[in-house]
Amino acid sequence: MRKGLIQATDSFERIVHWSLAVSCLILCLSGLGMMFHSLNFLGEPFGGLKSLKYIHNITALFFILALFFTISMWWKEAGVFVFPEDLDWIKCAGGYLWHVDKVPEVGKYNPGQKMFFLVVAAGGVAMIFSGLIMLFPLHMPAMIVRLMYLIHAAGFVAIFAFFFIHLYLGTVGSPGSLPAMLTGWVSRPWLKKQHAKWLKEMEEHGTLVVYGEEKSSSHDHHG
Amino acid sequence: MAEYVKLIDVSKCTGCRACQLACKQWNSQPAKQTENHGTYQNPPDLQANTWTLIRFQEIEEKDGKLKWLFRKDGCMHCTDAACVKVCPSGALYVTDIGTVGLNRDLCIGCKECVSACPFDIPRYDRKTDKVYKCDLCLSRIKADLIPACAKACPTGAITFGEKGKMIEKAYARAKELGGDANVYGDKFVGGTHVMYVLDEKPGVYEHLPKSPSVPLSVILWKDIMKPLSLLAAGGVIAGSFLHYIIHGPKLPDEETGQEQKGGE
Repeated sequence: MRKGLIQATDSFERIVHWSLAVSCLILCLSGLGMMFHSLNFLGEPFGGLKSLKYIHNITALFFILALFFTISMWWKEAGVFVFPEDLDWIKCAGGYLWHVDKVPEVGKYNPGQKMFFLVVAAGGVAMIFSGLIMLFPLHMPAMIVRLMYLIHAAGFVAIFAFFFIHLYLGTVGSPGSLPAMLTGWVSRPWLKKQHAKWLKEMEEHGTLVVYGEEKSSSHDHHG
Repeated sequence: MAEYVKLIDVSKCTGCRACQLACKQWNSQPAKQTENHGTYQNPPDLQANTWTLIRFQEIEEKDGKLKWLFRKDGCMHCTDAACVKVCPSGALYVTDIGTVGLNRDLCIGCKECVSACPFDIPRYDRKTDKVYKCDLCLSRIKADLIPACAKACPTGAITFGEKGKMIEKAYARAKELGGDANVYGDKFVGGTHVMYVLDEKPGVYEHLPKSPSVPLSVILWKDIMKPLSLLAAGGVIAGSFLHYIIHGPKLPDEETGQEQKGGE
């Protein structure tokens, strides 16, 4: 770790994030193996498609757990829009799509991240709900079960597409972001550019944790 | 190969259930302890080891007389088979004679076909974690034999033959019977490979859908959502690449002697 870096996430956040990410990825891959005949071979290393079904169903349990912590941990920060700041940010798309002279300053999560969180949260809940009914379909009206398959597929469309957006913006699309979820330490210029309001808040509340410096006051760096 | 059809003329059925037994015998399916439900219909429903079943039904005719209906239920072998559409493993497949085959080795017991089937035919067995249904005795047909149920039928209610001829035969028989008699099976789901000559309107028979179809949700799921999932993801990947080369990544403004990355 380099002197002057700022802590953006704590280890609990990162563990929850990666638990959700890994379980989600396994679910996507095993799901794809069952969705497309041409991808049935994904089950081969595990002894066949039936094993892929079990992997999918068991991983879902981890996903449920991870999603529970994700939502309870982040919904206050990432699940609630603040007006009018967030609307201003949305109007200029955060400066991501066209040139904007001055992008409105945002807190810990910008509206784009909030939307991503909401899609993951709502989509995840829909996937869990529909998935559980698909797992025990025999005592349900066929109409309902069929609808669940449709919801499960629609949820996949959204989550799979959003996964790649997340992957891009978390890496090459926004250099400096990845460490926030790897080590938790980010650079000050990055934080100032991406979450200026949050940086100010932390400075004001004395919750900023800078590597190599004495902690200014409180341990609670969530602000 | 030509398409084949099994024609069931319910007006000739006496409810003897020789077909049920022949089906079990040829497919080596044991019987299960049954229950008396106050009807001759036995077992009460299709089961993982009962792939065909005579449904017994009493209706009252216009003159107050009682009429007993016997309908041999089982897989209809749709041309547009919803079960084949949803089957993730290819266990359910369309055979070269147009029927719906079932390769049980491939079945993963996901039960997707159970809810997709418009006729409510596939049955799941918890013990083997697989789904079962009639395969129209594909093994017999391949050996130039007719399906076991057709072979066993003593009244000629079940016949088997080339599709065109069977449809012709069905309409001739419906005409001969007159009244409400009708042909069931050729007008929906692309045409079924098990057809009925019914002597009552289809709506009269229990557990027989009037106009079955591949469920809309199955079509939306398999024909819209499935390709859309790849299209959307592909679009996002392409879009991200274009974004990178046209607009460029979002970089921190000042380089205060530090690299942008946090480093380790």
